[in-house]
Amino acid sequence: MPHHEFDCSTCIPERKKHAVVKGPGETLADALPAGYLSTIPGSISERGCAYCGAKHVIGTPMKDVLHISHGPVGCTYDTWQTKRYISDNDNFQLKYTFATDMKEKHVIFGAEKLLKQNILDAFKAFPDIKRMSLYQTCASALIGDDINAVAAEVMEELPGVDIFVCNSPGFRGPSQSGGHHTICIAWFQDKVGTVEPEITSDYVINYVGEYNIQGDQEVMQDYFKRMGIQVLSTFTGNGSYDGLRAMHRAHLNVLECARSSEYLCNELRVKYGIPRLDIDGFGFDALSDSLRKIGLFFGIQDRAEEIIKAETERWKPELDWYKERLMGKKVCLWPGGSKLWHWAHAIHEEMGVEVVSVYTKFGHQGDMEKGIARAEEGALAIDDPNELESLEAMYRLKPDCIFTGKRPGEYAKKIRVPYLNAHAYHNGPWKGYEGWVRFARDIYNAIYSPVHQLAKLDISKDEIPTGSGFVTRCMLSDATLSEETKNAPGLRQYTGKFDVIQDLRKKTTADYPYLRQDSLTQLV
Amino acid sequence: MNSKVEQLVNYIMKHCLWQFHSRAWDRERQNREILTWTRNILCGDSEVPADRLDRCHWVDAKVLANSYRVHFPWISELGTTEITELMKNVHERMDYLTITGSKNLELTDQHY
Repeated sequence: MPHHEFDCSTCIPERKKHAVVKGPGETLADALPAGYLSTIPGSISERGCAYCGAKHVIGTPMKDVLHISHGPVGCTYDTWQTKRYISDNDNFQLKYTFATDMKEKHVIFGAEKLLKQNILDAFKAFPDIKRMSLYQTCASALIGDDINAVAAEVMEELPGVDIFVCNSPGFRGPSQSGGHHTICIAWFQDKVGTVEPEITSDYVINYVGEYNIQGDQEVMQDYFKRMGIQVLSTFTGNGSYDGLRAMHRAHLNVLECARSSEYLCNELRVKYGIPRLDIDGFGFDALSDSLRKIGLFFGIQDRAEEIIKAETERWKPELDWYKERLMGKKVCLWPGGSKLWHWAHAIHEEMGVEVVSVYTKFGHQGDMEKGIARAEEGALAIDDPNELESLEAMYRLKPDCIFTGKRPGEYAKKIRVPYLNAHAYHNGPWKGYEGWVRFARDIYNAIYSPVHQLAKLDISKDEIPTGSGFVTRCMLSDATLSEETKNAPGLRQYTGKFDVIQDLRKKTTADYPYLRQDSLTQLV
Repeated sequence: MNSKVEQLVNYIMKHCLWQFHSRAWDRERQNREILTWTRNILCGDSEVPADRLDRCHWVDAKVLANSYRVHFPWISELGTTEITELMKNVHERMDYLTITGSKNLELTDQHY
């Protein structure tokens, strides 16, 4: 795997060790991009800060908590409502966020009194919420405000409340990954084991590294409940604060996003002997294997096979319809940390696309190992990418679509490359069997959008077709397909609803015959 | 033998995640336990471990062994000695790719 040097980065020679091309016959032992190093100033990196990783990514999805940042209001504003981790309590944590709004005078004279008053005001404004997570920012950390002491004072004055303190100011690590690490260790050390849960099943799991983006967690939880499994806690999507304090009583940790929360699973294994099972919720084969493993662990594999059979029969014909039309399309898989390896093989195998590049904004070398292992030969793997390198890669690789965040997605659109939001999705959820078909549909819609096809024409020099004014996606996608493929019996486009989560939320215990009747009170 | 080993190793690399735990000692344990269980299952052993940590290794191995039988039918024609030799080579290769030959500098960090 030769290291790849971007033309635009020859002036930053240290960037060369951050990109490799997977060559024929080469292995992970030949080369691996460097990872989790300090961001190079001026490189226009795609990374965020450690405060963002702690609060925005992991802390705020907890649904029954007042999330308060001690710092300037900009930190809080920029990490509010920009990620679609919905919850089944009417999205309380998306609607409300809290900040102490530190000003210059607080930086000079200290802001602990301001913090204490803000905490008391927040609990008073929402008297039904007794839990809080409190986040350090750069400003409050640099002046040495002791937020732990303030939180302890409040907990003494208000005995019914519990406050989790996260000391992860922006400068604590090279990227948001530093924040993931900090909050995982802090939660483990300060909160796990402080609540005893009600156990309502013989099969109890923590679902770790799942943030309920557009309902992913609720899709997966439905599978688990159909198997009779109690999801004791979800770290942290649609998760409850007290449920997460009870993590120590689970039989198994089912881990999705290892990048953000493998630290927690490792510590739970060492201290409480809870095994860590890494799974994929994306892709029919990978998801089926994941459900089988969970079923085997508890001796209920027949229940897993029931779900796999039913879901595959329902959704495979629709996935295959899109696969016929996406075969050979080139995509760049450019997410934050873990989707490069969750998706790299599954989208190639099950949707027929060619992954020409993978990257990770804040991933470590472990993520690159997984991503490169699962990618095909010729893929360009980039660590800590920046805007100029991404543009150069797109000009060189000419992808039909990229899966990335909305910020790089915007400059992709400017050079007429459609993008899908890999962090928060376009029309998710994308996990589960139906979700995977929704993802395929979104890719299809992006690549065959008549507007994007039109946008590729340059009116200053290209011939603009005037004979055909009406074009549909199907006319574009089926233009080169054989009649046999176009009319393949049993294959069809996506037939699901716009919002699939509402139906899941309407389910009752009658829909889960394997769950015990008294499991209504289980912590989630 | 080499091409058979590479087929089995490539399958793990494309489909599995258990081999990429955080630290070198975790990967040594994962490779040792899961590949030993895989060998046992391929040789017809039907033991199901009671200890939950062992059981977690066993489930990864059980699904891997089943996948091997489906995707590599030649494996069902091998005897116990051949399977043992084959899986020993797979284990060595996996240890090289994920531990001893890995360029991942975090493998030796003492903390999680």
